Amino acid sequence: MINFYPWFRLDSLNAFIVLAIGLFSLLVIVYSARFRFIRRRIALQYYICIILTALASIITVLANNLILLLVCWGFLGLTLYLLINLGDVGSETAAKKTFIIVGGSDAFLLLGIAIIYHLTDSLQMDQIKIYLDARPLSLSVIAYLCIAVACFAKAGAMPFHSWIPDCAESAPVPVVAYLPASLDKLLGIYLLVRFSLDLFVMNEAMNTLLMVIGAFTIVAAVMMALIQHNIKRLLGYHAVSQVGYMVLGIGTGSPLGIAGGIFHMLNHAIYKSCLFLTVGNIEAKTGTVDLARLGGLAKSMPFTYISCLVASLSISGVPPFNGFFSKWMIYQELIQKINIRQWSVVSLACLVAAMFGSGLTLASFMKLMHATFLGQRANKSTSQQSKDVAWTMWLPCIILAVICIIFGIFASQIPLRYFILPAIGKIDFIGIWYPGLSTLLIIVGLLVGIIIFKFKDIKPIWRQDKSFTGAETQDYKLQRISGTDFYNTIKELGVLKTIYKKAEAGTFDIYEQGKTLIFTIGRIFQYLHNGVLPTYLVWGLLGMLGLFLVLLR
Amino acid sequence: MANIVPFFTIIPLFTAFAISLLGRIFKNAFIHTLSIVSQFILLVLSLLSSVLLHRFVDGKILVYKIGGWIPPFGICMVLDGLSSFMLVTVNLLAFFVAIYSLNYMNKYTDKPKFFTLFFLMLTGMNGVIVTGDLFNLYVFLEIASIAGYALVAFGTEAEELEASFKYAVMGSVASAFIFIGIAFLYGFVSTLNMADMARILGTKTNQWVLPFVSALFFMGFGLKAALVPFHAWLPDAHPSAPASISAMLSGVLIKALGIYALARILFNIFGILPVYSKILMFLGALSMLVAVVLALSQWDLKRLLAYHSISQIGYIALGIGLGTPLGILGGLYHLFNHSIFKSLLFLNSGAIDYAINSRDLKDMSGLRERMPITYHTNLIASMSIAGIPPFNGFFSKLIIIIACIQSGYITYAIAAVVGSLLTLASFMKVQKFAFLGELKEKYRDAKEVPLAMQLSMVVLSIICITGGLLLLPSLRYFLDNAVNVLLDGSNYANRVLETALK
Repeated sequence: MINFYPWFRLDSLNAFIVLAIGLFSLLVIVYSARFRFIRRRIALQYYICIILTALASIITVLANNLILLLVCWGFLGLTLYLLINLGDVGSETAAKKTFIIVGGSDAFLLLGIAIIYHLTDSLQMDQIKIYLDARPLSLSVIAYLCIAVACFAKAGAMPFHSWIPDCAESAPVPVVAYLPASLDKLLGIYLLVRFSLDLFVMNEAMNTLLMVIGAFTIVAAVMMALIQHNIKRLLGYHAVSQVGYMVLGIGTGSPLGIAGGIFHMLNHAIYKSCLFLTVGNIEAKTGTVDLARLGGLAKSMPFTYISCLVASLSISGVPPFNGFFSKWMIYQELIQKINIRQWSVVSLACLVAAMFGSGLTLASFMKLMHATFLGQRANKSTSQQSKDVAWTMWLPCIILAVICIIFGIFASQIPLRYFILPAIGKIDFIGIWYPGLSTLLIIVGLLVGIIIFKFKDIKPIWRQDKSFTGAETQDYKLQRISGTDFYNTIKELGVLKTIYKKAEAGTFDIYEQGKTLIFTIGRIFQYLHNGVLPTYLVWGLLGMLGLFLVLLR
Repeated sequence: MANIVPFFTIIPLFTAFAISLLGRIFKNAFIHTLSIVSQFILLVLSLLSSVLLHRFVDGKILVYKIGGWIPPFGICMVLDGLSSFMLVTVNLLAFFVAIYSLNYMNKYTDKPKFFTLFFLMLTGMNGVIVTGDLFNLYVFLEIASIAGYALVAFGTEAEELEASFKYAVMGSVASAFIFIGIAFLYGFVSTLNMADMARILGTKTNQWVLPFVSALFFMGFGLKAALVPFHAWLPDAHPSAPASISAMLSGVLIKALGIYALARILFNIFGILPVYSKILMFLGALSMLVAVVLALSQWDLKRLLAYHSISQIGYIALGIGLGTPLGILGGLYHLFNHSIFKSLLFLNSGAIDYAINSRDLKDMSGLRERMPITYHTNLIASMSIAGIPPFNGFFSKLIIIIACIQSGYITYAIAAVVGSLLTLASFMKVQKFAFLGELKEKYRDAKEVPLAMQLSMVVLSIICITGGLLLLPSLRYFLDNAVNVLLDGSNYANRVLETALK
C-alpha cells in the first residue's frame, strides 16, 4: 500500500467534505445532461472542467502539504474562470471580475503560506501550530489575515463578495450551483476552519474581527438581496449573506459555534445548490429569470416548486428544516457568550444581526416564492404545457430537498453524529430542541388546520372588480401585480435610499474601487511617459544620479 | 571538450553571413532550411553542453582559449553553469521564434535581411553569454544591440523608425556608460579578462573605483534590462518590432544583455555587496509595480505586453538581488519561465496581428471562435505570467516570495504579491477583449494562422505547463548549477584560471 501520509491526510474534518464534494459533482453532472448551454460545442470542455474541479477540490481538502494545497486551490480559480466563460454573452465580464478577485486572493494565500513557512520551517499542516501575536502587525497576524482573505474571497464573505452576484447572474446555472453555491463555500470555510482550529491558535481580537465581519456580511448582503429582481442575482446575494453565519460561527471560537458554522456550511451548500438548480429549471421552462415576468409556475412545475419551497424554508431558518438547526446552534453560542462580560456587547450585536438577517431572508424568499410559483401567471401561452422539465433536471433538486428535510429532522442523529461531532469533539447544547417531536407537532398542527379549513367549509373571500384609474376602467384580468413591487418601498426609505444607490453604483465594491485607484495612478504615470526622447534621457540620468548618491556616499 | 564553446558564436555568425551572401541568389526555401538547421544545431548543442557539463566535466566549467593564449593574455570563452543555463534559454527560444518567423515574416518583405539580422542578434547574445573577457562582452553587446535597433525598425513605417531611433539613442547612451565603466575598471586593474579582474580586485584593499563603476554599470545594464527608471525605450521599441522579434527582445535580449551581464559582473567580478543587493532589489520592486500599473491602462496589445516585460524583469532582479540561494534560484527560474511565456504572448499577439491585422484590444473581440489554438495558448501563457498554479510562472513567483520573506523583506514580498494580482487583472483584460465576447462581423472569416506558427506556439505552451517539472530533483541541476555559479562569487576567478591553465 502506498503511504500518502506526508502529502495527504484524511481526518474527521475533511472526510465528510470529500463526501459532499462527490455528491454535488454527481448531482451536477446528472443535471447537466439535459441542460441547454447557450454556446454550442462546449460539452467536452464543460465536463472536463467539472471533473477537474472535483478532483482539484478533493485534493485541496485532503492535502496535508501547504504547497499542494496552494496549487490545487489556485487551479480551482482557473477552472471556475473557464466554466463561467461558457455562459451567455456578458459572462466574460463576470468571469474577469471573478478571477481577478479569486485569483488575486490566491496570491495572498501564497504570501500567507510563505510567512507560515518562514515562521515554522515546515510545510506539513499537521505539524504547524502558530500562536497569534497580540501585536496588530506581527508576522503571524499578517499570515492569518492573508489566509483569511483567500478564504473570504473563495467563500464570498464581505468585502470580497462582489464577484458572487455577478457570477450568479451570467454563468450557466449548473456552474453556479456547483462552484460558488456549494464547492467554493465548502472549500473556503473548510480552509478557514482548518487554519483557525489546527494551524493557528486564535486570540480574542481575531475572533471578534471574524464575528463582526460575519454579522456585517449577513445583514448587508441580505439587504441587497431584498431589492433584487433577477432571481439569480437575488440568490447570489443570499449566497453571500449565508457565509456570514458560517464566519460568525467560526468567529465565536468555541466548539458549539464552530460546529454550527460547519454544519451551516454543509446545509448551505445543499439548499443553495438546490435553489440554483430550480432556478435553472425555471429558466429552461420560461426563458427568463426576471421576477417581474414570472408567476404561477407551481401548477406546471410541481417538483421544482416543492424542492424550491423546501430549500427556501431551509435557507430562511424555518424549523424543522436543516437551516434552522445550524443557525440555532450559532444563536445558542452567542446567547451563551452574552453572559461573559468582555464579549457581551459584541455577541449581543451579532445575535441581533443574525436574527434580523434571518428574518429578512425569509422576507426575500417569500417574495421569490410568490413571484415565481404563486401569484398570477405572467404569460398564459408559454406555460400552457403542464409538463415539468426533464427528470434529470428535477431529480437532483428533489434529492437535495430531501436531504434538507432529513438533515433538519434527524440533525443530531445523522449529520451531527457522523460528520460534525467527530471533527469538533463533544459539544453542549444549552437549549432543548427535539426536531422529531417538533416536526410531529408541526404536522399535526397543519393537519388540524386543514381539517378545520375543510370542515368549516371556509372559502377564501375575495372580491374582484374592475379598477378605475386615470379616468379609465381597466379589466383586472389584464392587470397583473408582480411580487416584486411590494419590496420597492424598502428602496425608498430615507437613509437606505442613498446607501442602495451607492451600492448599486459600486461604491462598496472593492473591485470597482481598486480599479479606480489603479487607473488614477496609471494616468499619472502615463502623463510622465510623454514619448519625448529627452524626457526619457533625463529620467535615466536622474536615476544614475540617484545611484551615484547612494553608492558614493 | 572545450572546443564546442566557440561554436555558439561561430554558427550564428556564419549563418548570418551565408544568408546575406546567398539569400539573394537562392529561393526562400534555402534561407528557411539554413536558418532552421543552424538554429536546431545550436539548440542541440546548448542542451548537449548543459548535460555534458553536469555529467562529465569536473568543476562544471569549460574554458576555451582563443588562439591557445592563456588568460589573462588572450581572450577566453567560459562555459559554466550559468552560461549554459542562459544558452539553453536563448537558443530554445530562438529556435521556436525562427520556426514561427518562417510564416510570419511573409507579412514583410526581404526575408534574407531579416534572418541575417536575427542571426547577428543571436551571435551577440550567445557571445555575451559565453565570453570571459569584459571588453569582448561589450563588443558582443553592441552587436546584439545594433541588430536589435535595425530589427525594431524593420517595418520602416514612421512609428517603427521613431521607436528605433529612441531605442538607438538610449541604447547608445547606455553603451557609452558601460564603456566608460570598463575603461575605469581597466585603468584600475590593468586587465580585461573577467576572471583576472576578479582576482586582482580581490588583492586590492582600497577599491575606490568600484562604487563609481558599479553606478555606471547599474545604469548601463539597467537600461539594457529596462529596469525602471531606465525603461522608457522599451514600451516603444518592443511593440514596433515584428512580433517574432518582440518575442526575442522581450524574451531573451533584455535578460542576456541586461540581467545576465549585470549579475555576472556584480556577483562574479565585484563580489556582491549588501548595497548592490539593496539597489537591485529596490529597482526590481519599483519596476514590478510601476510597469504593471502602466500595463493595466494600455489598449495596444503589444505595448501592454512590453510593460509586463519590465514588470517581470523586476521580479527577476528582485530574486537575484536577494543574493540568497533560494532568491537566486527563484530569480533565474523566473528568468527562464518569463522568456518562455512572454515570447509566447508576443507570438500570440503576432498571430492576432497576422489574422486580423490589428493590435488594438478595443478593436478585437470573440476571436476564440476563429482562432482556437491562439486562444488556448494565450490562455496558458496568461495564466503562467499571472502566476496561477500549476503553470510555470507560479512556481518561480512562489520561490521568490518565500525567499523575500526568509530574508526578512516582507514589504518586497507584499509588493510582489500585489504585482502578481495586477498582472492577473491585466491579462484578464487581454483575454476578455481579445478572445471572449461576441465575434465581430468583420472578423467573421478570420483564419487561424499557418501551421509553423501554430507549432511553435503550441510547443511553447507545453513548456509553460510542464515548466514546473524543472524543480524535480532529477532536473534541478539545470537551475542549481547556474545558482551555484552566482553563489560562488569571486571564487569564479580561481575556477576559470585553474581550468584555463590545466
